[in-house]
Amino acid sequence: MMSVLLAEDPLVRMQRELRRAKTAKAAPQWVMVIDLAKCIGCHACTIACVSENKLPPGVVYRPVIEEEIGTYPNVGRRFVPRPCMQCQNPPCVKVCPVTATYKDENGVTIMRYERCIGCRYCLVACPYSARTSDFGDWYTNRTPELPGLLEGRSKTADGYEAKPAPEYGKAWPDRGRNSPVGNARKCHFCKHRLAVGVLPACVTGCVGKATFFGDRNDSGSLVAELISSPRVFVLKPELSTRPAVYYLK
Amino acid sequence: MRFKYYGPLLAAALLGLVAGAVGMYDRLANGLNPTHLGSYIPWGLWVAFYLFFLGLSAGAFLVNILVYVLNLKTFERIGRLSAFVVLIALVCEVQFILLDLGWLSRGLYQFFLTPSFSSLMTWMFVLFASMLVLYLLKTHALLRGDLTRRANDPESGALRGLYGLLTGGKTAYGPEDAARDDRRVHLLAKISLPVGLLFYGTNGAFFAVLLSRPIWNSALTPLLFIVAALLSGGALIAFLTYVFRQPDPLNPSRLCHSDELCLGLGKVILFLLVVFLGLEALQFFVGYQSGKETVVTSLNLIVGGRDWWVFWVVHVLAGSLIPLLLLTFGGDSPRSVTWACFLIFASFLAVRWNFVLPDLAVYKLEGLDKTFFDPRLRTFYAPSLNEWLVSLWTISTGLLLFVLGVRYLPVITENGGEPHAR
Repeated sequence: MMSVLLAEDPLVRMQRELRRAKTAKAAPQWVMVIDLAKCIGCHACTIACVSENKLPPGVVYRPVIEEEIGTYPNVGRRFVPRPCMQCQNPPCVKVCPVTATYKDENGVTIMRYERCIGCRYCLVACPYSARTSDFGDWYTNRTPELPGLLEGRSKTADGYEAKPAPEYGKAWPDRGRNSPVGNARKCHFCKHRLAVGVLPACVTGCVGKATFFGDRNDSGSLVAELISSPRVFVLKPELSTRPAVYYLK
Repeated sequence: MRFKYYGPLLAAALLGLVAGAVGMYDRLANGLNPTHLGSYIPWGLWVAFYLFFLGLSAGAFLVNILVYVLNLKTFERIGRLSAFVVLIALVCEVQFILLDLGWLSRGLYQFFLTPSFSSLMTWMFVLFASMLVLYLLKTHALLRGDLTRRANDPESGALRGLYGLLTGGKTAYGPEDAARDDRRVHLLAKISLPVGLLFYGTNGAFFAVLLSRPIWNSALTPLLFIVAALLSGGALIAFLTYVFRQPDPLNPSRLCHSDELCLGLGKVILFLLVVFLGLEALQFFVGYQSGKETVVTSLNLIVGGRDWWVFWVVHVLAGSLIPLLLLTFGGDSPRSVTWACFLIFASFLAVRWNFVLPDLAVYKLEGLDKTFFDPRLRTFYAPSLNEWLVSLWTISTGLLLFVLGVRYLPVITENGGEPHAR
């Protein structure tokens, strides 16, 4: 009982390991581990991600797939969060005609919005459907403008979705006709948060503490322990994409 | 050349441009927002049209094969028409693909600034540009003699300036010039053979390299693209050869030279149609036999999905069976061959539609359809009115250029077709 109470919260441990990784000599290789036995299908990670990256309608980085197993009355339900797999052999990178997407030194697949021509070849190439295109939709599209009577469309949009996304730590212009509208968009392990030593939004927002994050190269890290578990598996291993997102059965 | 459909075709093109302008304005002002495209079906009508025009541009490629590979020199006589049709098809093709980009403006320069040669799209761009340059030069060399004559002809009236501009101010055109242009045309035609083969093959490989797309991911796809391009492009050329035929003035009922060319092309088209249908049948056979769920679901969508009629009625019946019967039993009648060829090329959009959509319309991860609901995250796609209007505008630009070209440029010669610029 005592040992359970004194066990360190995985978030605290991962946060500490994140700071350690930043001071390591070699560039950290980020990996994510998702324990399906702990995922309760609350979609908090999806919402945390949407909120953090100010994602517009139709753009989602981390949906939670719900699978029904068995037939009535012997049925079960399984939840599979699906961020970008940050493949080590990414099919999306090699198809980009203008080098608008690349793998950075931390193994994260990055988008260069200012280069992307919006051909959507990468969307078609991704075997996990982990990329979405920003078609310039707004949540407030159909909100009426009633000056004096209602906080209408413009005011509502100004409060949230007109604001620039913080992605990649750049000062993106206000959302209008500017990038990332018209571009392919994807999960980047909240690169802007990692840069300031904070875990990705989906990790800190996970209610069931089912998502783990850290440096694969750090042998003492929690994720290094977890990816050597016999419960570990990856999605679509037959495609040789070598994902950096692992699942625990 | 004066032809009786000039007025109606010109009116149709102008009407199409006016109606389509509404869609074009919306597209240019609001990007891809007015389309019904989404993230699971990111390519739709415009990519299908791109592939359609890609095929139509292969007409001259087919003529080159007949002349230089099979040594059938008589087909040199449709060199001008086929080269000009390639240019029109390429113009339509590039418009469709540019309009399909989320960032149209970047599409114009980013390929030059930061190209990635690991992407087949970059190679498509390189090969497209090569084809455009080759056929611009070839068409120019083919027409230059007549253009010079027209530039010097007072009957050309106000167009003399244009002809003079197109000839680069050249005022005399002698046998030496003709011989030089002839050599140039032959050289360009020979170069365009491997370039064309790579161009059409690369367009197929563009889809074939995608590991997660089970129907596209096949070594058969590039071959299928080459055959499909030859078939649809060849059918268009055969159709136009008959439409612009010049009957013998002394005996109009006799088979003229255009008719003979049309019949010759008809035989080639019949062969290509049989090969294409055989390859398509193989694709279905292998797909169903593999039993792989995503493949079978995609194939089922083609034959029994919401758009089943596109496959059975438009492609199989109108675009394959009827032409097959016409070409087999009416192969000695230019009219039958023309009808068959018209049906083949006009229905070819159905083939392109059934190539692009079904593979995209199947979720690659089971359960993804029940997770995050949004109109942009569905595997259901029907083109929006905007997509149709933009397509109408783009096709109308091609039609306008073609009609004006045939009317005012020596694309079809009055004497029944000299081989080249002589």
